[in-house]
Amino acid sequence: MSTPITAADALQIGRKALSGIDRHLVPHPARAALYLLANFGIGLGWFIVLVTLLATGISLAITLTGIPILVATLYLWVAGARWERKRIASLSGQPVPAPYRPLEEDGSFFSRAYQRVTDPAVWRDLAYLISLMPLGIVELVIVLTAISLPITFITLPTYFWIGGGPELLGVWHVNTFPEATFGVLVGAVLILPMLLLISGTARAHIAFGRWLLGPSQEQLEERVEVLTRTRSSILEAMLAERRRIERDLHDGAQQRLVALAMDLGMAKEKLKTDPEEAGRLVSAAHEEAKRVLTELRELVRGIHPAVLTDRGLDAAISAVAGRSPVPVTVDVQLKRRLPEAIEATAYFVVVEALANVAKHSQATQAQVRIVENAGWLVIDIVDNGKGGVDPRAGTGLTGLGERVAALDGRLTIAQPPEGGTWLRAEIPCES
Amino acid sequence: MRVVIAEDSVLLREGIARLMTDAGMEIVARVADGPGLVAAIEEHRPDVSIVDVRMPPSFRDEGLRAALEARRRVPGSPVLILSQYVEERYASELIESGAEGVGYLLKDRIADVGDFIAAVRQVASGGTVLDPEVVAQLVARRRRGDRLDVLTDREREVLALMAEGRSNTAIAERLYVSEGTVEKHVTNIFGKLGLPATEAVHRRVLAVLAYLRE
Repeated sequence: MSTPITAADALQIGRKALSGIDRHLVPHPARAALYLLANFGIGLGWFIVLVTLLATGISLAITLTGIPILVATLYLWVAGARWERKRIASLSGQPVPAPYRPLEEDGSFFSRAYQRVTDPAVWRDLAYLISLMPLGIVELVIVLTAISLPITFITLPTYFWIGGGPELLGVWHVNTFPEATFGVLVGAVLILPMLLLISGTARAHIAFGRWLLGPSQEQLEERVEVLTRTRSSILEAMLAERRRIERDLHDGAQQRLVALAMDLGMAKEKLKTDPEEAGRLVSAAHEEAKRVLTELRELVRGIHPAVLTDRGLDAAISAVAGRSPVPVTVDVQLKRRLPEAIEATAYFVVVEALANVAKHSQATQAQVRIVENAGWLVIDIVDNGKGGVDPRAGTGLTGLGERVAALDGRLTIAQPPEGGTWLRAEIPCES
Repeated sequence: MRVVIAEDSVLLREGIARLMTDAGMEIVARVADGPGLVAAIEEHRPDVSIVDVRMPPSFRDEGLRAALEARRRVPGSPVLILSQYVEERYASELIESGAEGVGYLLKDRIADVGDFIAAVRQVASGGTVLDPEVVAQLVARRRRGDRLDVLTDREREVLALMAEGRSNTAIAERLYVSEGTVEKHVTNIFGKLGLPATEAVHRRVLAVLAYLRE
């Protein structure tokens, strides 16, 4: 039963929707003013720090001592840019996604630094921080003008009242008290446009910040392409999953229940004439019923294990490992519960991987390791089997890759020549 | 024997109640959620409570939590937990609340009425009953520790049956061997694993579980 929507509800919904739009189109003037004023101070600070450090680093670069200074400076401005993204996000109410290229997981310090240096996003960060100072000066002037102009006009009579002489305001000569009183009106009229000017300036700054600090047009296009692809593949995977469940139920539980009902029906017929045969049929039905239960239990667990929701990855994966025919050691090091979609994906990666190990690898030992590291959930499944997994052949692995990709993760398979298989899934889980 | 039943599905609740009544037990309370269970155990102090893990409002592990809470308030109140799946983790939590008078079984086991009634009686008398699946999970987990490698296959089988809470007689019946043979196996197991030997079945279960969960 649905409750009808009253006029008051509709108004509420409308307000909510509008306030959402307002928040990022036109920031509140007071917050906008504070933000713009802060830009000047922060911009000045960055300008001094960055110019000094870069000048020092570049001039010392010949003697090699400059290199560490430059690298440190780079990390400093990247941190600064992260902070600026947060400031813009809190003013506009919409996050600014960081556009950096993903770093290689196991790279050395130098290779990481090199990856940073060659990332255009890092240089756009620098451009933003340097331009913050000149922009800040302009914004400072705009904000101060926007605040002082109406105040000056409104307080004009006071100025005359305490005995001030003729005054020149821009092109307007104020000579008499009535003229000054007219100034009050002008000032009052100016308040709203000036507030809008402040908000508008902040809006322009937000747009500028998004342009330099956010993802570029190509990155956004690429992202849309990835999203379109993973979305359709996840839909297909879901459909395939439903078909599998349908098939399992149809071939398994449903058939068994038919047999069970038949046994019971026959037993009912024989109850009077042949009690012994009836008893035999009832026992058969009893056995059949227990088999249906077992089968349904396995099927339901395959859809979603209750222990995963209740107790998290560690407990769920320990249970999976416990049922694996190949001995598995489990090492799960997580300090918190992760979002449901991530936990479920991690779980099914492990289930599928261990099923592959049991079916194809001839391994005698397997190991599952799950850690959270620098905003990534890293899942490793290693076995000592014969290897030779073809990532394209196994539909199971392809499905896994799609599940992981749908969460912006990646799946890699390493097969060292001395044997064994190393499956690694990485899923971003920044909190 | 006085029994409390906590189960939100009416069909199953009445079914279990009928089984219990047929076996000569008295149902003192039927409840359908966690708080109801805690209150019923506090009020009636039953000989045993039969509890479904999943109950409203969250439909997660309500029953287990309520049972643990009830056992905090009425220490040692025997509880037999029934679940659609058995998870070793839940068994561990249950046993940590004091392993005497606890049971943890798959719901499917109700189908074997005789065994189920026996399990209820065993829990009521302070024993420990674990589902063979839980024990299998525990034994499988230990297998990678390699410490059970010192046992022969037969001894491992006996160990698993011990962990389920079976007496030597029951184990002998199950494995089609004489009781003397089982006793010999048990002595060997306790010797090899360095466990304190004891006759009382539930103490034995505890020793084995402590070893397996170590």
